[in-house]
Amino acid sequence: MTFSHECIVCIVNTGFSDAVMDAAREFGARGGTVIHGRGTASQEAERFFGISIQPDKELVLILVPRDLTDPILYALYRAVGLKTPGQGIAFSLPVDQVVGLSTLSLGENGEPKSGDVAP
Amino acid sequence: MNDQDTKRRRTDRPEKKTGRAKRADALKAPKKLKLLFTVVDRKKAELYADLIGAYGVNLQIVLPGEGTAKTETLRLLGLDDTARAVIVSVIRDDLAPAIFEMLEEKFRTVRGGKGIAWSVPMTSAVGVAIYQFLSDYRDDPAKANERGNRR
Repeated sequence: MTFSHECIVCIVNTGFSDAVMDAAREFGARGGTVIHGRGTASQEAERFFGISIQPDKELVLILVPRDLTDPILYALYRAVGLKTPGQGIAFSLPVDQVVGLSTLSLGENGEPKSGDVAP
Repeated sequence: MNDQDTKRRRTDRPEKKTGRAKRADALKAPKKLKLLFTVVDRKKAELYADLIGAYGVNLQIVLPGEGTAKTETLRLLGLDDTARAVIVSVIRDDLAPAIFEMLEEKFRTVRGGKGIAWSVPMTSAVGVAIYQFLSDYRDDPAKANERGNRR
């Protein structure tokens, strides 16, 4: 089953949500919502790999049209991926219905009832 | 009348069901669940949580969040009121159209209540009691009617 929109979730170290949005905007995302959280990581794994995980996290939710998902995820991987200071992970969830996007109303399966497509 | 006829008659006869069997039947085809995300101004979080809650939604989590400011200029001028709330609700699939219709109307009509909502399908939940809680499944039809009238 395919839908017209997807929700990108990007979890990064605190302070990197702007970098996430900058990378996402470059590929057509319009806006996002940031939630603060606390990450939990295996301390044993941290010791084994010789890295430290900052526990304070920011979780960025971005709703995007499906065709923008791949380029945005790749941009996030490059800008705030695990090998960057942002130490981010990003994934997308299928969105089967959506309302409230600017100037358009969407029906079943997120298909626009009329007009443009703009998240 | 041969043996086959007797067998068929026996199988055709509807079985008398006990209360437990009826309850088990009702659970055979469970309603699907969805995770509804609603992002609104933080001041309106309670209003929207109540509105969604009226649809037999038993689990809602309100998380404080921040909107991402549209431009750097707005941010520098302090014109970006970015305090948002993310309401995460577990809703039943069959109630989703009504909830979305209500939200669409409220986003349009409530002053300062503009927002965005989307749903993500849930694929599993563990435990019958948990499922019944999340889907607001109740045996008592009177209670179900009462909820229907409230809506």
